[in-house]
Amino acid sequence: MSHETWQEQLRRGGLDLAILLTVSAGPRYGLAIIQHLEAFTDLVVTEGTIYPILGRLTRDGLLEAQWVEGEAPHPRKYYRLTRVGAKRLADMKGEWRAFAEKIDRLMIASERAVRESH
Amino acid sequence: MNLTETGESRVNGYLFVLERSLKTFLPPDVVRDAVREIESHLRERVASADGAPNEREVLERILGELGPPLRVAQAYSAERTIDEAVTTGRFVPIVRAVGHLAATTVTGFFVALGLLVCYLISFVFIALAVLKPIFPGNVGVQYVHGFPIGLGAQFPLEPGTELGGGYWWIPFALFFGLGIFVGTHRGARCFLSWWRERRLS
Repeated sequence: MSHETWQEQLRRGGLDLAILLTVSAGPRYGLAIIQHLEAFTDLVVTEGTIYPILGRLTRDGLLEAQWVEGEAPHPRKYYRLTRVGAKRLADMKGEWRAFAEKIDRLMIASERAVRESH
Repeated sequence: MNLTETGESRVNGYLFVLERSLKTFLPPDVVRDAVREIESHLRERVASADGAPNEREVLERILGELGPPLRVAQAYSAERTIDEAVTTGRFVPIVRAVGHLAATTVTGFFVALGLLVCYLISFVFIALAVLKPIFPGNVGVQYVHGFPIGLGAQFPLEPGTELGGGYWWIPFALFFGLGIFVGTHRGARCFLSWWRERRLS
């Protein structure tokens, strides 16, 4: 596997979690979600590809979508976390932290072993 | 920023290409919703670019960040077709999803090839079961000098060829045809489900 493929897989793996985290504080519309992600991460490579993911998360019942008119000159589609989505987010956060901790431990052990061998 | 006529044409052209691409694999109501959302994104971006001197430059940057319409449509396709196929298990969505993977991945191509062969075999058996009562003298096991040389339908039967197999052929062909069809269909669904899990993991 090339480094780029690995990076892409890592990015894709984190994108669902990042989107759920973005809407966990309250409803946001598509562009606001993208801008939030762009402000904190570099997960958004092509903005247009975020919308199909939002659609999938909605179909899976993790998000709820609603068109709001009159707030801006054009209608906005707002997404908010459902109860199922909140539960899934809690699970994902726990798993992500546990995974990151294990990899961190492994990296520290590996670096220590390298130092001792020199 | 208020778009000029040229700017409006550029935006409408983008949305037109996106809509045409989405229409090939998504239901009309989903296409309408997707295009409306992308248009909302574009209008919002354009509105926030107030004060920019060069409309064309701004518009191209916005469209560039959004991604080419075919790429956006491809992303919808990847997210949608496989999900629909796995969730519904219906024949058309499964064929569409396998076709999509065949066109975009090497693994998908070979799996699609195998599935196509299996589906065709199942259709042939079912067709033979249907044809047997209509052409009883042409459908069955073909023998030449007492040796079986094939099974199927032959129009007209070649001289020297004898036909074996009576009406028992009908339940036999139906059983095998439907069995292979169901097996292939389940296999296709399992493959798509595995692919979906792989994508999510």
